[in-house]
Amino acid sequence: MSNSKGSVMNNAAGPASSGAAVLIASARAGKYLTFFLAGEEYGLEILKVSEIIGMQAITRVPRTPEFVRGVINLRGRVIPITDLRVKFGMEAGTEQESCIIVVQLRDVQTGIVVDRVSEVVALLEDDIADSPDFANGVQTDLLLGIAKAGGRVKLLLDIDKVLAAHEVVQMAESTSAHAA
Amino acid sequence: MIPTSLNDAVALLMQLEVTDIGDLTVLRDALTAMAFENRVSAACQPHVARAARLLGAIIGGGSPNALADLDAVSAALDQALNSASGSAPAPVPETKAATPKSRAKSTVKPRSKTPPKSRAAVSEAVALPPVQHAVVAAVPELRVIAGEVLPSDTDVSLLRDFLTEAGEYISASEAALLTLEANPQDSEAVNTVFRAFHTVKGTAAFLGLAHIAEFAHEAESLLMRVRDRSINYGLACADLSLRSVDMLKALLGAVEDALAGDGALLQPPGYHSLMIALDGYNPAADVAGIVLAPTVETVPRASRVESTAEATIRVRTDRLDRLINMVGELVIAQTMIAGDPHLANSQAPDLTRKVTHAGKIVRELQELSMSMRMVPLRSTFQKLARVVRDTASKVGKSVQFTTDGEDVEIDRNLVDILADPLVHMVRNAVDHGIEQPDDRDRAGKSRTGSVRLAAYHSSGNVVVDLIDDGGGLHRDRIVNKAIEQGLIESDRGMTDNDVFNLIFAPGFSTADKVTDISGRGVGLDVVRRNLELIRGRLEISSTPGYGTTFSLRLPLTLAVTDGMLVRVGAERFVIPLTQIHMSFRPEPSMLSTVVGQGEMVLLRGALMPIVRLHRTFSVRGAIENPLAALLVIVGDGAQRTALMVDELLGQQQVVAKPLGDALGRVPGFSGGAILGDGRVGLILDVRETMSLTTPQLKLAS
Repeated sequence: MSNSKGSVMNNAAGPASSGAAVLIASARAGKYLTFFLAGEEYGLEILKVSEIIGMQAITRVPRTPEFVRGVINLRGRVIPITDLRVKFGMEAGTEQESCIIVVQLRDVQTGIVVDRVSEVVALLEDDIADSPDFANGVQTDLLLGIAKAGGRVKLLLDIDKVLAAHEVVQMAESTSAHAA
Repeated sequence: MIPTSLNDAVALLMQLEVTDIGDLTVLRDALTAMAFENRVSAACQPHVARAARLLGAIIGGGSPNALADLDAVSAALDQALNSASGSAPAPVPETKAATPKSRAKSTVKPRSKTPPKSRAAVSEAVALPPVQHAVVAAVPELRVIAGEVLPSDTDVSLLRDFLTEAGEYISASEAALLTLEANPQDSEAVNTVFRAFHTVKGTAAFLGLAHIAEFAHEAESLLMRVRDRSINYGLACADLSLRSVDMLKALLGAVEDALAGDGALLQPPGYHSLMIALDGYNPAADVAGIVLAPTVETVPRASRVESTAEATIRVRTDRLDRLINMVGELVIAQTMIAGDPHLANSQAPDLTRKVTHAGKIVRELQELSMSMRMVPLRSTFQKLARVVRDTASKVGKSVQFTTDGEDVEIDRNLVDILADPLVHMVRNAVDHGIEQPDDRDRAGKSRTGSVRLAAYHSSGNVVVDLIDDGGGLHRDRIVNKAIEQGLIESDRGMTDNDVFNLIFAPGFSTADKVTDISGRGVGLDVVRRNLELIRGRLEISSTPGYGTTFSLRLPLTLAVTDGMLVRVGAERFVIPLTQIHMSFRPEPSMLSTVVGQGEMVLLRGALMPIVRLHRTFSVRGAIENPLAALLVIVGDGAQRTALMVDELLGQQQVVAKPLGDALGRVPGFSGGAILGDGRVGLILDVRETMSLTTPQLKLAS
């Protein structure tokens, strides 16, 4: 469904730090799902969201990085859940309205835990500025940009990079190295 | 062992690997001697000499691809054997008499057919005047690039369908050819093979695969003559037909490679020579060597390939898997409804009845969906008939192969994984289990050995028994060997089954291949690995002198695992039931701490390490005192381990699922399962869990 378009956007957004500004300009505009995390509002390309589900019992998986909260049963499929707060180094919180956004990256589904889902906004290219050098602890290379629509600042996440599997693997290796 | 005949050389070669330089040198020298001292016939000489040359290249390290070259050596020796025994008229020598005898599913009375003087002819068997295959010798067998590529307008999906379909035709015709050897008058079997080649020819031509069409045409022409009874299905004809099937397999394999690669079609070695052989087939020179009266009782009931009349439809397996997944979900959803407290407290008996009814339907649906991926073991068994035939004729033994229970069904996914171990085990049984005819004579057994394969259901599992009436396994020798190789320290506390399973240990008996037990290690660790993959279990019983029985105990399907749900702290894990031997609460006297190995428990004279699961998986709030916890004994043989858990929650059938690509492999777990309450439970990979823990224990002490 949204896969192909999603990955096109991703590819275009990939060389964000290099000089391919024209390409980016046409790629970043679009609809975003926004959510809250430790008081900040973040955005996520809507094309990569497959569904939003309520908080549910998560089975912890031993010997995985701390930001992996565990796995859940999504209609018969086992999918891993990433806690963005932990991943971004924020203190773990237990919000009442916590929920799980299931994102579809190519053919892999992953859930991310967020404090609260906010809204879907359509952003024009003019609304989006390149990321500054710092952004509330989130590494700037994980951001597509910063949007200033609706009177609030929204940090637009490059969710592929955020969840990049190799990063998870690296973390897993380093944790097991500590254990040994 | 210095081989003195071609048969010996082939037998020795089968046991060797490219790294066994010493033995390869012995073999090379023996072959050179054979080739140049006129101990083999003129037709054999070029093949034997080529084999020796190739071996020389492997030994000298001058061979870029030693493995392929070793195969080439084997092929050359095969050709030498073929050209020696191609279609010799009587007298039938002893080694050759073994060949028709060994053909699966046929009972032969070789003794009466063998003229008395042939006993003296054993080692000279190869010196017989070649007739049929002399033609073959003239053509060099090289792997030539056909210069052909896949047609550029090929529809890949059509091609894939063709490959699948042709593969089925090939296995059917292979089986039919073996039936035909037992009963050359079986017109239905001829037709099966004929139809197979004919269909493949047609489709291949349509797809633009000219060389396959061309080859299938040649093979088809031969069979047409058999079908029309213008020629007899003689020994050479049988051989040609089987080789044609093999060639067709190789050709299809080349197409598959081309699909995966750059589209260049490689020509399998032996293509031209086989074409020439097919073309030059001379029925007059063929021996009617296998026109034998088959006795009814030895031909298994369902050995004949029946064309299934039932209408079938091809469904992609991933679609089927999705369906089964969804049905599994439905079962869980239904269980949750049925277990809902509101329902139990409800005042409406009608509602309860309806829910129960829906439950019955759902369960039936589940059984039905599971049965859709089941296939009979027949085709797997049929392939083994060929393995028995080929191995037996290679090592000059006489083996009768019977099968039973081909109708037993097993998960499609299991079949592929099961095929390899069975091939190794059957080959092993023929090569090492069954003795040479002379030795059998001396032991007072019939000269023809028997290998039986039987499949049946037993307590929710499928069991495949491989029974040979050969020399059997000798416990003492295996134990000595294993101690010598450092696999075990002593056999204290090991059952016969534990000891016999050692022959499947990687590295067992690679050092010295001469004695009757040591050769048994060749490739057998594949068996163990594949069985683990499908959660199978191997039990071996053996009586020295009377034979060996290998019992493979397999789950019906991989989709469902019988698991034991255990609790550790607040977390639950599933341990595959096939891995569990027993569980118990230890007494203080059973526990000890061994320096360097950590906590151990002594059970019936066997000392095994305790793995505290809560420590391995850093679970908080679990029982710390072993005396208050439960120990679950897992693993096999010398590697038994006691897993410490809080509580057993009960047995449950679970569907194993991957933990998601984003997580990848998580050490210690083979996957996740949806438990009855809809939550995910992690399935323990027992072997990995054990290996995760060992270094920690060492650190702790």
